[in-house]
Amino acid sequence: MLRRTLWLGLRRGLLGRELGTRRGGSTLGKVEGSGGYHGSGMPPMSSHVTFRTWDPWPRSEDSGSLEEGISYLPELVQSGQVYGSRGCPSQYSQASTVLSVGGIRQQFSLPENIQLSLFSAEFLRNINEYLAVVDDPPLDLQFNPSGYLFLASEKGAATMENNVKVQRQEGAKVCLMSPEQLRKKFPWINTEGVALASYGLENEGWFDPWCLLQGLRRKVQSMGVLFCQGEVTRFVSSSTHMETISGEEVTLKRIHEVQVKMDCSQEYQPVECAIVVNAAGAWSGQIAELAGVGKGLPGTLQGTKLPVEPRKRYVYLWHCPQGPGLEAPLVADLSGVYFRREGLGNKYLGGCSPAEEEEPDPGNLEVDHDFFQEKVWPPLAWRVPAFETLKVQRAWAGYYDYNTFDQNGVVGPHPLIVNMYFATGFSGHGLQQAPAVGRAVAEMVLEGHFQTINLSPFLFTRFYLGEKALEHCIL
Amino acid sequence: MLKIIVPTTMLLPMTWMSKHNMIWINATVHSLLISLISLSLLNQLSDNSLNFSLMFFSDSLSTPLLILTTWLLPLMLMASQSHLSKETTTRKKLYITMLILLQLFLIMTFTATELILFYILFEATLVPTLIIITRWGNQTERLSAGLYFLFYTLAGSLPLLVALVYIQNTMGSLNFLIIHYWSHPLSNTWSNIFMWLACIMAFMVKMPLYGLHLWLPKAHVEAPIAGSMVLAAVLLKLGGYGMMRITTILNPLTNYMAYPFLMLSMWGMIMTSSICLRQTDLKSLIAYSSVSHMALVIVAIMIQTPWSFMGATALMIAHGLTSSMLFCLANTNYERVHSRTMILARGLQTFLPLMATWWLMASLTNLALPPSINLIGELLIIMSSFSWSNITIILMGANMMITALYSLYMLIMTQRGKYSHHINNIKPSFTRENTLMALHMLPLLLLTLNPKMILGPLYC
Repeated sequence: MLRRTLWLGLRRGLLGRELGTRRGGSTLGKVEGSGGYHGSGMPPMSSHVTFRTWDPWPRSEDSGSLEEGISYLPELVQSGQVYGSRGCPSQYSQASTVLSVGGIRQQFSLPENIQLSLFSAEFLRNINEYLAVVDDPPLDLQFNPSGYLFLASEKGAATMENNVKVQRQEGAKVCLMSPEQLRKKFPWINTEGVALASYGLENEGWFDPWCLLQGLRRKVQSMGVLFCQGEVTRFVSSSTHMETISGEEVTLKRIHEVQVKMDCSQEYQPVECAIVVNAAGAWSGQIAELAGVGKGLPGTLQGTKLPVEPRKRYVYLWHCPQGPGLEAPLVADLSGVYFRREGLGNKYLGGCSPAEEEEPDPGNLEVDHDFFQEKVWPPLAWRVPAFETLKVQRAWAGYYDYNTFDQNGVVGPHPLIVNMYFATGFSGHGLQQAPAVGRAVAEMVLEGHFQTINLSPFLFTRFYLGEKALEHCIL
Repeated sequence: MLKIIVPTTMLLPMTWMSKHNMIWINATVHSLLISLISLSLLNQLSDNSLNFSLMFFSDSLSTPLLILTTWLLPLMLMASQSHLSKETTTRKKLYITMLILLQLFLIMTFTATELILFYILFEATLVPTLIIITRWGNQTERLSAGLYFLFYTLAGSLPLLVALVYIQNTMGSLNFLIIHYWSHPLSNTWSNIFMWLACIMAFMVKMPLYGLHLWLPKAHVEAPIAGSMVLAAVLLKLGGYGMMRITTILNPLTNYMAYPFLMLSMWGMIMTSSICLRQTDLKSLIAYSSVSHMALVIVAIMIQTPWSFMGATALMIAHGLTSSMLFCLANTNYERVHSRTMILARGLQTFLPLMATWWLMASLTNLALPPSINLIGELLIIMSSFSWSNITIILMGANMMITALYSLYMLIMTQRGKYSHHINNIKPSFTRENTLMALHMLPLLLLTLNPKMILGPLYC
């Protein structure tokens, strides 16, 4: 009783305080007027929340992590509060993680990507050591180590060979197959037009992303992280004008508060934080804009936006009784179509990335079935003749957090907003790189530099400097 | 005493009637003047005590603690300026009122003659502290911290009230100066044992003793900076002071009743020091180090030899200044990075070298570097406990080593190494903060030159 009145009294008092500008020696950043009205009554949580930690990798107190799917969770530096940045019916229903096909491969061309996937594969193999929680059952990831099979035409064969060389250097086990070997191993493939194929032998396959997500959630909750749901509406930050060594002026910003709007109501909650990790997936671009990334003259560092936007991708589930058997890997055709086996009853999952001009509207997650009929089925049936007779049972759509610059992730701090870290923009392979990226961001936060895997090609500054970290690979 | 009490009381209307831009200046300057007045009490004329009136007296045990209390108020006010800057004027004045009230009660507690008056004020100090912790703390946990703090101390001290009333009935007076001479050895009966326990438990909870220390990390961590400072520096010493006073009438039961508490304290010293090595929260580390140092004081008071009493008083003063300084340093960190996690703000020496100097000095005094008074206190306690029983040297030695380990760990974690990216634009140290640290360090260093004034009444 006393507690309630105490708290209510405090709450009202805090409400009465206006959100003004910050005082102090530094120049003030502009703070826009507050949009929503202050809700009345007991808010779902208090304004300043803190979290305990007992882990040797402690987390930042009051560090807000804006998550959309899986990428922030593996940071064993945990977020104090984690916000889903979608509205009312959230609970991961629109998160890319759970809508993903769930594959993991090492067949990239950038060594960093390969290293990220290698660590993630090792993490997934030992997931019950990493994510063990007392008294809880072990996780069953349903990892199918069936590998990825990339097919290349005459034109792409040289690139594929180079890629495989890099992959082998990094330690991935990939083998190159000629069309005859392909026909012998996978008799259901029509090898017309295929000059070379690369087949991942180890650490590649697919798994259940929902299980990984729940495992991570369970583990971090056991370590004391608080999960909250709401929509991030604005950031309250302050700026300081400083001078670099060469004498030029630069304005460094620091985020002090994140304002989170409660689901289905006008109430909002300011949360003070030390660090913000932007792992908001497809919506990271919007969040970054809220924080002030890209507000400046184009061509300057202040004006460099975070080029991550949502791109809708369809996934179709079909049944084909004569289809490839249990040994079928995730086949990625040279036309861009991919498919994999799902379950043990001759069901298959697959899809295709549409061409640039035909990008579907990312406003909703409606599935376009004509896309399958026109763009996916013909190449699929050409490549695997058994798929000429199939029946689509289900389909769904999910978002890629598509990095329009070079389709690879953005990891690390923002140079001007000193306490905002990015872990986003993976353009479709976020799930498989999530554990390693989480560790990398944790190292960045705690040590100030990447320790195990050097992800400096993935820093934000490359957008300003124009250095693309391009993948010479499809998918 | 009135020359200290009345000006402190008058600080209250002065705060309320100050203009908005003069609140801090008025309060800080006048409280500094009051602390200068209290310095005059150091002129102890005889081995006995200075008696000001029937109600107040001061002797060489209470004088250093009194000076510490009055010295701390201006420091608390200086430390609180920043985090209160966003509050309304009335709230600021309320906060300062709480601090002044606390100061008032503490002054009267340390100088009370009558033990019931001591008890009443001992309990009264809980109220402003509770208000400071629960109203101005930063996280939700402050409510549970306030509850723990209040109820642990209350539950421990209610038996003390009963015991004091009983003593008043049997001995006729609770005037501290008189019962010294009237007390006769307690016989070994169960009721005397319970009375012994009743008298001691209140102070054991306050010190705190290892098994009853749960309130301390919570309260210290959740309190705002002034709350942490006064808790660590003065309120813990209330327990030590009370114990030293009350054990004079509890002989000879102390000889064997002290054993459980001695064991708990010695074991607790090592445990809490070891916990410090695994802490990630900076304030929590400093809070546990307070428990560890106070465990040494409990050991000293329980074995009751002249050297150990000297060590206890010296360590109380030294720890008060050091711990308060460490909390101020942690607060400067918190105000910039807005997180208490130690690992998050590293390599601060690159950005704030002067603050790194203060960190270094505070850590060095925390680990009892010679010739600081921390060392004098710890050394006297270790020597006297060695002569009480040779085996204690193992535990004490291990404790000193672990203390050094965690102090240096804290220093290296926060100051050395590559700086984190998110502290790139922290504000440089304010003059106010540097003054605060200097005012903490100056008495510590000056006392190194003349430690006899803090060695208590048994110095000969």
